Amino acid sequence: MSTGKRRVGAETPLFVWVGASCALLFLLLPLVGLLKRVAWSGIFGAVASGPASEALRLSLITSVFATMIALVLGLPLAWVLARIEFRGRSMVRALVMLPMVLPPVVGGVALLGAYGKSNGLIGGWLFDVFGLQLTFSPLGVVVAEAFVALPFLVMAVESGLRSIDPRFEESAATMGLGPSERFWKVTLRLLAPSLIAGVAVAWARALGEFGATITFAGNIEGRTQTTPLAVYLLLESDPEAAYALSFVLLAICVAVLVAMRGSWMGRRS
Amino acid sequence: MCSRARGHAWKLDGEALMSVMLKGSVRQGRLILDIDVAVGDEIVAISGVNGIGKTTFLRVLAGLLPLDTGTLQVNGNVLDDVNNQIFVPAHLRNVGMVFQDNVLLPFLSALDNVAYPLMASGIGRQEAQQLAIDAMGQHGIGHLAQMKPTQLSGGQQQRVALVRALINKPQLVLLDEPLSALDVDARREVRSWLRDQLKSLPGTKFVVTHDLVDIAELCDREIAFMQPQLQLLGNETQTTIVR
Amino acid sequence: MTVALASLLPTAVRASPIVEVSKLQGDLTISAATSLTDAFTELAKQFRKVNKGVKVRLNFGSSSTLVAQIESGAPSDIMASADLTNLEKLVASGNVVVTPKVFARNTMAIAVKPGNPKSVRSIADLVSLSYIALCGKTVPCGVYASSVLTRAGVVIAESKVTRGIDVKATLSAVANGDADAAIVYKTDVLAAKKSVVGIDIPSAQNVKAMYGIAPIRGSKNSANAKAFIDFVLSEQGWQVLKSIGFERP
Repeated sequence: MSTGKRRVGAETPLFVWVGASCALLFLLLPLVGLLKRVAWSGIFGAVASGPASEALRLSLITSVFATMIALVLGLPLAWVLARIEFRGRSMVRALVMLPMVLPPVVGGVALLGAYGKSNGLIGGWLFDVFGLQLTFSPLGVVVAEAFVALPFLVMAVESGLRSIDPRFEESAATMGLGPSERFWKVTLRLLAPSLIAGVAVAWARALGEFGATITFAGNIEGRTQTTPLAVYLLLESDPEAAYALSFVLLAICVAVLVAMRGSWMGRRS
Repeated sequence: MCSRARGHAWKLDGEALMSVMLKGSVRQGRLILDIDVAVGDEIVAISGVNGIGKTTFLRVLAGLLPLDTGTLQVNGNVLDDVNNQIFVPAHLRNVGMVFQDNVLLPFLSALDNVAYPLMASGIGRQEAQQLAIDAMGQHGIGHLAQMKPTQLSGGQQQRVALVRALINKPQLVLLDEPLSALDVDARREVRSWLRDQLKSLPGTKFVVTHDLVDIAELCDREIAFMQPQLQLLGNETQTTIVR
Repeated sequence: MTVALASLLPTAVRASPIVEVSKLQGDLTISAATSLTDAFTELAKQFRKVNKGVKVRLNFGSSSTLVAQIESGAPSDIMASADLTNLEKLVASGNVVVTPKVFARNTMAIAVKPGNPKSVRSIADLVSLSYIALCGKTVPCGVYASSVLTRAGVVIAESKVTRGIDVKATLSAVANGDADAAIVYKTDVLAAKKSVVGIDIPSAQNVKAMYGIAPIRGSKNSANAKAFIDFVLSEQGWQVLKSIGFERP
């Protein structure tokens, strides 16, 4: 294989280096700008109590549940899209991408149209029969976050499924594994990197969700005021707290994503 | 050395005694395969140009591809019968198969790959691993046990795949170019090991190969795939083997 | 002199433009509170008719957000705020150096769903509702709403309050969402027409929102800004504000 760093560098065209550096700079400069504004000495105090800590706790819990829903619903959907040929498949795939291209606030309006207690398609029924009101509730936050995160997971998993050589599963069949066993022991394990990536992206999207959440689940301190909402409001009244909160969320996100990559991206030569 | 079979032996022996009887057709994309074959407990070479359907034939035998018409019987068991809507899927046929490119499971070590068929048939993990390591040791690849397939060379992967295919004493062995990744010396060595292994197994063993030496050394019979139909050749070995 | 003449004319006739005003050129960026959306859109339209050379850009948002933007350096020429507190912030930070002028007053009202399904008649009735919408705590209409609640002696648990980022979002929570009631400006209730029903708040509990306007220091379009502010404060400007539902300052 390659004999050293110098050789690999020489093979990469200059415009690729330039483009990559610009991209990195583009992303990192605002990050550095944010870090500069954080008042490091007071950071723990700003985040440890009051609305900020409630917002953080709410965000972490709802985003995890939302990601789980995205996984449970998204995996079968991705399977169908990847493995089963049916008429209208590309139409269905385009529809699944819809929450991605909808402006989040519009997504929130759409959710109201479906699950709103007053005017929603089934919202009134949910309330009358089950006493369940999604709007203004943490469950509504989970629904809003899952709605925007689902397409990301479906996309990653469908792509992963398509890239699996079907002969692995056939090989497992000739070794005596039935369909269900093959799914859990072979397919899922081959799918693991794409699955992890899909979960990571979906979770990050759920965590940062603002427009759909505030429109559908409202903005109630302690109940539906997630971190992005809290940061937005804090920016006017207490910018220091807003920066601190933003940083803490960012740090948690980075820590989790780095940890995930380490265990699953393998050590290829 | 191969024994010489002449003519259409299967007619002489009578249907009931044949281990594998396949008469039917299958369509795979633009390929239509019309097969009429009956063989006994033999090592059968399958030859023919690329793309003619040799791998498709193996897949039908393995249960990965159902027939469109016809029937398949192995050792008296009907595995595929289109008219009566019988189809036994691959995981329920006792098959040992080596695919082209080996297809070892990349997330398992070589040892776990070899042990897999044993565990799938109900043997406990410890015991399966012990049997696997013994088998690998016998074949001289015991030292590869803990390595992942991506860390093995093509030839090493192929040997592991062979051990894995045979470990469960399958009633039907299907090898798709099993020696293709080996160099000449390794090939000779593995070929003679393979011959001993295959001969000790009951049941039919199909080997897809382009190598004339494989055909001569390994097999009892050769089936040549030709367009438009499959033909059964007697094995008059006229080729000269260079050592 | 021209002004005196104009006041003699019947109000249906538009005041003829002062010659210097119509020669104004350039841009004019106005940051205005969300509750001024309809009023300032109309005012800008009439201003443009007379000052064809001026390109007016309207930037609506909650007064507190707009102040934060200006203090971060957003290029605005005028600030029109729903309260005087936010203008005082700008004075304190040096972004406004003249005395802000009060140009309108507003009061609060309760907005409920059409048909008033929960039979809300007063502030006190809000306690029994599941969820109500108020503006954010630091947004002027949220501050006024708090005052109203205090004056009415009513306490509502924060866990039942959804906070909108500005008054339109707050109203939308009732009009389009599941909030049972909101406390917003009377002008917003009027503007929403059929999508909500307004419940008056008695003056003993109500507050007077004082709307102020001031030019931003250092803006490049100070002549345009002055002309627009004069227009807002003029009789013609007042007619527009009155038609929306604002009260005389």
